[in-house]
Amino acid sequence: MLKNIELSIEEGEVVVVVGPSGSGKSTMLRCINRLETIGSGELTVNGTQLNDPKVDINKVRRDIGMVFQHFNLYPHMKVIDNITLAPTKVLGVPKKEATETAMFYLEKVGIAHKADAYPSQLSGGQQQRVAIARGLAMRPKIMLFDEPTSALDPEMVGEVLDVMKTLAREGMTMVVVTHEMGFAREVADRVVFMDQGQILEVNEPGEFFGNPREERLQTFLSRLLSH
Amino acid sequence: MDFSVLTGNYETFLHGFYNTILASLLGLVGSFILGTIIAVFRISQVRPLMWFGTAYVEFFRNIPLLLVVFLFYYGVSSLVGVTLDGFNAGTLGLAVYTSSFIAEAIRAGIMAVPKGQSEAARSSGLSYLQTMRYVILPQAIKLVIPPLSNQFINLVKNSSILSIVSGFDLMYFGDGIATDTFDTINTYIFVAMFYLVLTLPLSYGSRVLERKLARHD
Repeated sequence: MLKNIELSIEEGEVVVVVGPSGSGKSTMLRCINRLETIGSGELTVNGTQLNDPKVDINKVRRDIGMVFQHFNLYPHMKVIDNITLAPTKVLGVPKKEATETAMFYLEKVGIAHKADAYPSQLSGGQQQRVAIARGLAMRPKIMLFDEPTSALDPEMVGEVLDVMKTLAREGMTMVVVTHEMGFAREVADRVVFMDQGQILEVNEPGEFFGNPREERLQTFLSRLLSH
Repeated sequence: MDFSVLTGNYETFLHGFYNTILASLLGLVGSFILGTIIAVFRISQVRPLMWFGTAYVEFFRNIPLLLVVFLFYYGVSSLVGVTLDGFNAGTLGLAVYTSSFIAEAIRAGIMAVPKGQSEAARSSGLSYLQTMRYVILPQAIKLVIPPLSNQFINLVKNSSILSIVSGFDLMYFGDGIATDTFDTINTYIFVAMFYLVLTLPLSYGSRVLERKLARHD
């Protein structure tokens, strides 16, 4: 249950959301493409009122890519088909063109040689990079990341974060829920701190980490950084 | 073992065997299509569809097959005024009865596909139906093959119910041959063998299919 959420994200901005487990970070993220039902309040994405139940949600979702903690690749499809599914079925892109686009993004995330593999044949880091390519292949205006590195072996976190950093540098609008404070510090334009379903503090990373105002955030950061 | 019953009534056996194959194939296809539709109804967010699906399953699953067949054999003619012959009424009853079990098996399969799969698909802009068709059902079908093949084997065996409503199936002619020749034991042994010719490949085939589909998991 979220309350007192007042946040607006600009085009091209990278916003990182941090906070303890159960603080509502993921819930807030999942409201942006309405994977969560919006009970009350207003939420506008790309000029569309998402809280309006009559809105064509499938159309809104075309422009919002999402990357999940557990990758959620389709296990019965090859990597390439995972990526071309939505462009061909949702946007009606011809198969050949969709394949070329898919290869372009696989190249970009450094995994083009696995196009014909099945997800189960890939490592966690590789699967997550495929998931990012799958999101990008729709050429979205926004990318949402829901704890994209939380389910990865420590050694594979870097390769996924590198891809995300490149994206951020290229000007993609990104909302990232994560526990990777290094990423937040380096890449975020603003960092959001949530606790108990509320946004307690929003600031640019320097101030956020160097000079936190809220006591709850100070405690949170001190516990993170002390070990 | 005495083969004279078989050799002497070869054409009659084959005639019945042919009708049993036909009833099984029609029943198999019909019950699979019906069962899939009912399963989708049962998990639907649309309340009336869900209620209909649940009522359908609970009704046909919980009354004897014989009664379902009678419903089509006697009931349909008095209710709608269309008379179905034994073969059609029997096959239809068989398909409807089996579809209630198949619906439950498919529903369980759909529910067993992790929620993240439909979230990934829906968040990419795929509609509910596209998500079902391209993402959920292909995965559910793998999980459903073992229970489904059980149902199909049952269906082939249950097709012997046609004999009760003069459906001219294997069992019907078997009964006739047994009565005519008084060689009851041998007749029914051959009848059983004909059923095995159908059911054994079915259970073997399902195991092969299961292994083949499990390759990428």
